[in-house]
Amino acid sequence: MKIAVCIKRVPEMDVTFKIAPTGKAVDETGLKWDMSDFDGYAVEAALQLTEKAGTGEVHVISLGPDVVQETLRKALSMGVAKAVQLKCDTVPFDAYAIGTALAAELKDGGYDLIMFGKMSIDGANGVTQFVVAELLGLPLVHACSKLEIADGKGSARREIEGGGELVSFALPAIVSIDEGIARPRYPSLKGIMAAKRKPLEVRPAQLGEVRLTIETMELPPPRAAGRIIGEGAAAVPELVALLQNEAKVL
Amino acid sequence: MSHVAFAFVLTLALAFFSYNAQRLVRYLRIGNGDVRLNDVPRRVWNLLVIGIAQTKILRDPVAGPLHAMVFWGFLVLQVGALEILVGGVIPGFSYAAILPAPLHWLFLISQELTAAAVLAAVAFLLHRRIVVRPKRLQGDGVHSGDAIFILGLIAGLMVTLLVTAAAERILGSGYPLMAQPVSAPLAAALGWLSPGAAHVVREVSWWLHALLILTFLNYLPYSKHLHVIVSLPNTFLSSTSGPGTVGAMKPMDLETEAEVFGAADVTHLSWKNLLDGYTCTECGRCTSVCPANLTGKLLSPRKIVVNTRQRLMEVAPALVGGDDVFGMPFIGASTGTAESTAAILEHRLLDNFITEEELWACTSCRACVYECPVSIDQLEIINELRRNLVLTESRFPEEILPAFEAMERNGSPWAFQPAERAKWAEGLDIPTMAEMQERGERPDILFWVGCMGSFDDRAKKTTVAFSRILKAAGVRFAILGQEESCNGDPARRMGNEYLYQTLATQAIETLDRYEVATIVTSCPHCFHQIGNEFPQLGGNYEVIHHSTYIERLLADARVPLRTDEGEKLVMAYHDSCYLGRYNEVYDAPRQALKRALPVMTLVEAPRSRDNGLCCGAGGGRMWMEERVGERINVERKKEMLATGADVVAVACPFCMTMLADAGAKLGSTVPVYDIAEVVADRLADGH
Ligand code: SF4
Ligand code: SF4
Repeated sequence: MKIAVCIKRVPEMDVTFKIAPTGKAVDETGLKWDMSDFDGYAVEAALQLTEKAGTGEVHVISLGPDVVQETLRKALSMGVAKAVQLKCDTVPFDAYAIGTALAAELKDGGYDLIMFGKMSIDGANGVTQFVVAELLGLPLVHACSKLEIADGKGSARREIEGGGELVSFALPAIVSIDEGIARPRYPSLKGIMAAKRKPLEVRPAQLGEVRLTIETMELPPPRAAGRIIGEGAAAVPELVALLQNEAKVL
Repeated sequence: MSHVAFAFVLTLALAFFSYNAQRLVRYLRIGNGDVRLNDVPRRVWNLLVIGIAQTKILRDPVAGPLHAMVFWGFLVLQVGALEILVGGVIPGFSYAAILPAPLHWLFLISQELTAAAVLAAVAFLLHRRIVVRPKRLQGDGVHSGDAIFILGLIAGLMVTLLVTAAAERILGSGYPLMAQPVSAPLAAALGWLSPGAAHVVREVSWWLHALLILTFLNYLPYSKHLHVIVSLPNTFLSSTSGPGTVGAMKPMDLETEAEVFGAADVTHLSWKNLLDGYTCTECGRCTSVCPANLTGKLLSPRKIVVNTRQRLMEVAPALVGGDDVFGMPFIGASTGTAESTAAILEHRLLDNFITEEELWACTSCRACVYECPVSIDQLEIINELRRNLVLTESRFPEEILPAFEAMERNGSPWAFQPAERAKWAEGLDIPTMAEMQERGERPDILFWVGCMGSFDDRAKKTTVAFSRILKAAGVRFAILGQEESCNGDPARRMGNEYLYQTLATQAIETLDRYEVATIVTSCPHCFHQIGNEFPQLGGNYEVIHHSTYIERLLADARVPLRTDEGEKLVMAYHDSCYLGRYNEVYDAPRQALKRALPVMTLVEAPRSRDNGLCCGAGGGRMWMEERVGERINVERKKEMLATGADVVAVACPFCMTMLADAGAKLGSTVPVYDIAEVVADRLADGH
């Protein structure tokens, strides 16, 4: 079984972002970068599938400037066999443009399964996999929380409002991964060392036409300052009064 | 005739012994290389103080003196044993023939008095083993039968020594009465023996004695009493009390094309770790002070060492091959079927002998290492196995993953925003190194705040208190501000050497960029890491812990203190392991408290200073749940509270958290203060 996982390099989200002077992007100074969370689950799920099957290999693909090689190396250190960088100077905001480049790379790769995170945690569009599925004419199961492959067929579970949904599909296919499927493994030093010797191919990205661009970005308005009414039991009556009269939640 | 027979027996016994000795040396060779012959004077010093003077043995007030008696007696009696062995081969050989009479009498007195004293000590020790049975001599498959057998052998040696001398006296050896204070009265009591009978008694007793010596010698390699032979060499070769930096983890080269990082089996340990296995006396002193073991965790440092020996004995014959240098098969060489050899090779030290659960329970408090009378390094084995778990196998408790990730991404073991690192300093007018450099200035010291001191709400109070002291004393200091980042110590202690080296290298780059020379820190872990382990990566700085620094400022009267007497508080100071056992800073924090508040009374918990009980946070335990047994911090807090103190003083942000949490669990209102807070509280008005 040959699996491709498309991964994206994203900034660590646990920070207070600033907007760059252009007003069209976040200020990247001081940001730490890593593989997008859902993509991490997808890589882990792919590795587990091949490990369980005892055969097959996992490739990862990422689109962007040379810094994405760091993210690709991380996937290699987790146990992925080969990585491909689709090189371009900046990552466009348009999922169609990206999807076109990915589809061109994936088309003749002979993959049984193509995996995505259900969305990137920075852009949060969750559209790219649909574009690729459309361009390659493959079935897509979006946001799987469980995945099994047997006898050339796949079955997946999707979490839906108030329950779950079991989907079966024929290979080749595309799946995008939700959380809860598998926690990404922590690369061992052995894996990190091995990753240095694994193939990382670089090709120019054949981007599709870019039809979406960001015009401006703005920060949410600052929250009004909180109020300290007092401490301990003495403050309770006032708090209750305020909740009743001002916040009107009681 | 008897001499020929003895020469034959002696040759056999010595050959057998040398044969086993070579076997044991060959086994050691399956371990990795390790240089242990640097700084010989220091090693000789250790040998004299810890080995000959038995300073560690004597830390146990009961068994200590008894064992020291046996040990010193053993040394004294070697002189006599030599006479007996040589005399057995060369007819008529005796010290009497080569020594002037008074000196020879002195020799006789020394032997007889020592023999009597050893006999008494052995009687006590047998009583302890058989009747008292102290807890530390139980568990971990300790060979009590072995100990009793050896004690019996020693008793037999002493009795036959004295009986031989008494019989010779009856036969007319003719030494002065006072030269034979024990055998003379014994001879008097046996005076009724006919000369013929006395002769028989002498011969039988002499042979018994000589054979006991040879039995003893040859029994050692098969028992934990191997320590009789290897403990002095081990003390000499050990670095647990120096030379080198005490407590620093072993340097590790990550660039090698190794298949295994750290140790999963005895073949990945150093020969010195394996020698530790030979040396362990199973005395249990280490386990009896281990905070994890004391609170019911699975970990026992003695078991770690005993397991290392057991695994070595299991696998070495299969690895080294069945033949020794003479082409003779080794005793104990694997003689089993091919399947059983295969099974042995499949086994390993990790998992088959030592489990993950044991390894992660360690707080790296170093109590075991400090206590061991024969200078064994239990912690090094634990750390090497942890390294393997993380670096080779990526196996570790789930709850430490966020700490690893936060160190990687946020430069702190907690996922705080790096941008908020210096928030505590807002409005305090404390310059950063960058600001100072811009003004073309250089500070006297860099205050390394540490992650706890930067982000933890409680520890930030200590940080501010220490800054106030520095300002009041007019010290020109700066912080790194947002440029400070975790030095990697938690990662290293948790076995993640790769992450550690990444972080430490970055920190060294930052420090070197500002040409930092002197660093002061309020965190004992940062203090130990930067001062003692950064040199391994090329970072050399003078690092001072804030307790020492405050103490010096106070001693030089540089800190303006209030003139009133202050409160007559009773304080108990809790020693941090990384300050105390790792760096021997015991007095500075206590002195600082006394100088700041002379009217207070300092009380000590029963376990304090080098005997102090860990708070439970070290070795990465800070980031792990404590699910098994009692809580270490609660145990420690109980001890501290039992002193009746009004205030518990600490000098470490980790100890602070642990003891404050324990206080909350115990419903105690006794506050925990950092020494910097106590001192800052005494600053004169306006500071
Ligand atoms: S370092 Fe401390 S916790 Fe670890 S084994 Fe030794 S005594 Fe126990
Ligand atoms: S390691 Fe040292 S302290 Fe522990 S049992 Fe062995 S000899 Fe005793």
